[in-house]
Amino acid sequence: MTRRMLAVLLAVALVCQGGVALGHHGWSWTTGSNIELVGVIKTARLGNPHGILEVEVGGEVWSAEVGQPWRNERAGLKDGDLAEGVEIRLIGEPSADPNEKRMKVERLYLGDREFILYPDRD
Amino acid sequence: MDAFLSALEGTAVAQALRVSRWGYAAVNGAHVFGIALLVGAMVPLNLRAFGAWQSIPRQVLLRVLVPVAAVGLALAVVAGLLLFSVRAREYAGIGFLQMKLALVAAGTLSALALHRAHGFLLETASDRRLVRHAVISMVCWPGALICGRLIAFAGD
Repeated sequence: MTRRMLAVLLAVALVCQGGVALGHHGWSWTTGSNIELVGVIKTARLGNPHGILEVEVGGEVWSAEVGQPWRNERAGLKDGDLAEGVEIRLIGEPSADPNEKRMKVERLYLGDREFILYPDRD
Repeated sequence: MDAFLSALEGTAVAQALRVSRWGYAAVNGAHVFGIALLVGAMVPLNLRAFGAWQSIPRQVLLRVLVPVAAVGLALAVVAGLLLFSVRAREYAGIGFLQMKLALVAAGTLSALALHRAHGFLLETASDRRLVRHAVISMVCWPGALICGRLIAFAGD
């Protein structure tokens, strides 16, 4: 019984793979300094626990982590502001891994409207 | 499967949790609380089977810790299902979550089989049987906790 169970677990472990775009808590995984990206939103997945935009920037697709609903709402964003096809300018910290096209957004601009997700960060 | 996961995401409770600040936080907290009760009860119980605290009668520990673990498991499962429903299709593909669910299933089935065969207080179980179960339990419950936590760190 024990051996069979361990075999099943091992089989599950072997079948298991990652490869899903998850969000990140905190800032430990970013470079610590800001960059700016300008692009067009390809997909928007908003809602708990993390909001993630796929943004096309000059032929590259970046994953931009925005806030949870309460943070986006506090910044003044309305439902539908972050939608497919919308042009967006993002200021935030990129992943410390340069191969990873991923940023955590501190503030963003839609046209000349500014939305500050993290007021205490520069 | 995909239709089921989509339906789960479409439920009213999933939609509410997706946008709620404190509701989501509360369910998240309930999930952790359930895990704390479960693992917090099972580790001492298993250590007793491995030979710790021999002066304390096994039945005494079982009477306290088995219900605590069962309530903890139920709470963690219910809260976990709610958290899962928020992004069911995305989460279903995460390796560590699949691993964790397999561990939870193995731990639960193994505990049910043990208590079904030997009673709530395991009066008729041999020491060997108890040690064997404790090994499975120590793999499953702390293992499930670790896999669950790794979702946040090793995804992608």
